[in-house]
Amino acid sequence: MIEKIVNPKELRHWDGLIDVYWIYTSGTAGDYFFKKLKEEGKFTAAKCKKCGRVYFPPRIYCEKDLSETEFIEVSGEGTVRAFTVARLDVYEKPLEKPEIYAIIDIDGTDGCIIHLLGEVEPEEVKVGMKVKPVLKEKEKREGRITDILYFKPA
Amino acid sequence: MAVGKKEISCPPSAPGTPLSEEDIRKGRVTYVEDHPDLRYSWTAGQAISRFLNGLKEGKILGVKCNKCGRIMVPPRMFCELCYKPIDEWVELKDTGTVKTFSVSYIDPDARPLKEPIIVAVIEIDGASPNMGFMHILGEVKPEEVYIGMKVKAVWKPEEEREGAITDIKYWKPLR
Amino acid sequence: MEVEVIKGLKFHKKQDVAIVGAGMTTWKRRLNETGRELSYLAVKQALEEAGITLDDVEMVVMGSAPDTFDGFTMKGEYLLDGAGGSDRPYIRVFVGGGTGVFAPIAGYWHVASGLADVCLVVCEEKMSSCYPHPQSAFKYIWDPILERPLKPNLIWIFALEMRRYMHVHNIKHEDIALVSVKNKANALDHPCAQVAGKITVEDVLNSEPMALPVRRLDVSPPSDGAAALVMVAPHIARQLTDEPVWVTGVGWALDTTWWTNRDLYFPRYVAEAAKMAYRMAHITDPRKEIDVAEPYDPFDYKELHHMEGLGLCKKGEAPILTREGVTARDGDLPVCPSGGLMGVGNPIAATMGVKACEIYWQLAYRAGKRQVAKEVTTGVCQAWGDLMQIGTVMVMSNKR
Repeated sequence: MIEKIVNPKELRHWDGLIDVYWIYTSGTAGDYFFKKLKEEGKFTAAKCKKCGRVYFPPRIYCEKDLSETEFIEVSGEGTVRAFTVARLDVYEKPLEKPEIYAIIDIDGTDGCIIHLLGEVEPEEVKVGMKVKPVLKEKEKREGRITDILYFKPA
Repeated sequence: MAVGKKEISCPPSAPGTPLSEEDIRKGRVTYVEDHPDLRYSWTAGQAISRFLNGLKEGKILGVKCNKCGRIMVPPRMFCELCYKPIDEWVELKDTGTVKTFSVSYIDPDARPLKEPIIVAVIEIDGASPNMGFMHILGEVKPEEVYIGMKVKAVWKPEEEREGAITDIKYWKPLR
Repeated sequence: MEVEVIKGLKFHKKQDVAIVGAGMTTWKRRLNETGRELSYLAVKQALEEAGITLDDVEMVVMGSAPDTFDGFTMKGEYLLDGAGGSDRPYIRVFVGGGTGVFAPIAGYWHVASGLADVCLVVCEEKMSSCYPHPQSAFKYIWDPILERPLKPNLIWIFALEMRRYMHVHNIKHEDIALVSVKNKANALDHPCAQVAGKITVEDVLNSEPMALPVRRLDVSPPSDGAAALVMVAPHIARQLTDEPVWVTGVGWALDTTWWTNRDLYFPRYVAEAAKMAYRMAHITDPRKEIDVAEPYDPFDYKELHHMEGLGLCKKGEAPILTREGVTARDGDLPVCPSGGLMGVGNPIAATMGVKACEIYWQLAYRAGKRQVAKEVTTGVCQAWGDLMQIGTVMVMSNKR
């Protein structure tokens, strides 16, 4: 039988990083959605030409039957389906102010979005609450999901 | 229906929207960047730990499987052909033969290097045929390297060795 | 020590497998579509050619290579909805570059076992997400302790193998460069090609040195793209078409990760995989019985290396066949009539589009301008991946 190293100080480790940098393009549907949001402050959804399901965020294909979709405009207002109040940040340090994340069903679509809720106290949030989006000022928008600052009670 | 369709040419179209580097830089399409913070501490395991400790002492260690008789380097805790634990550790020489080599003009990110690096797979003397590992050649010009060339390891001075593959600075030709 | 891998393998199957449709997107260095949208575009084309809709598809196989390129861990799950994977059994397979032929092999298992009658196989790759160059993700394939401290580039391993291959058989770089010239010219007839063009042997020998003997025009470029295939059982194939293409043999084999302990001049892993596929397809003399071949060619010398591994010629004979024009589209054994990876592009897993899909189109006589001159009955496609490790082989025929 061969001797094994049993003293943990003699077992070696090698430290290293995996150092990569990614650029994610938004894609055909995503690019249309973000450009419309940035330039005109309007929300887009996609309706399947065959079965009529409305997708939000929009896609160029229908998930159920792989048919083409067409882009339609929606108001961006919605209803809170579920929410949670975060008091710690990504590194488990306490946040100055608690942040409220919610799943919001967007009116006129079969889809939903996860985003922050603002201008409301955690105790006042209820499932079923109506909310509407608050966008950044036009000059500050970049064409990203953060162009929506938060959703506030309607 | 695809019945009897000999006249069509496939693929019938090539869908997709090409972009150039400039389209990204000038922001003609929307995108998001991410730069993850992934830190690792890989364990060397039993066999390579002992191999690295051997390098710190200025020795190249191999292992022997008594069933197939192979003396293997880099060492491992079990023979992968016989699928049984290895039987003993063997000290090998620090000379070897070049099995194949290449002259590289690029760094790990594909950027050009000022001075080319000569990399080779070196079969270690004392181990079974074809047993070796990859390392750098030095003190030799690219045109002088050939397959079958005998080389010897050039070690870092003892105080600078840390138990890593770089404790051997490079391999030089045995003239 | 040689190990006989396929001795004792039994090839029981419930039903034969036919391919009735294929599709692919364009392959370019950078595409705007997301991975899901690319998968959708390829699947749409494949379903149209086959003449079925998504409702007819019973199971889906996705092939996609390292997550580090696209930047999504759990990449298979991310690509699911664009690939038609919602509401049906869906699985992702991954063996590095070998995925291009391994994904159709996994699709073959689904149908041959009788578990599904219609299986959709999709492969997608978006290498451009890795910025500035996908090479920065390749450096993590090396061993962190024994190899990464030497700061290697993946091209080194190809250069080391190419040097060994050239040395053992005494081959000149000029003969290897002929492959690059042939494939880039063949790709001029492919609508999705990224780097097609007319070049000469001198252009290759004078191009920028990367890691000698490999020069820039010996290497295929990174690409974004997707491809799809539809595999069906015999009774479904009969309803859809008069001329399905049958999968007659599959094989796959891997070699050890201790690549420095192998002699690199011959791809043993490809030979083992080919033995398995030929045994299933009842092929005893590949050189005579194979009419068209698509071996994996990420580098020009790799086409020759793999031709020998597939048994299409004797060891060291491949460059002679290329020089004599035997492997041209109008030759006796056309090799890479699509233009291969050297001419069309290299999106790792999505290379299924110029390997499996191309052999299918050739045997169905639908390759348009790329159609080879001779009559074709049997074809073979092969893929390779990792640190010189995997060989995956698929043999197809248009006669049952």
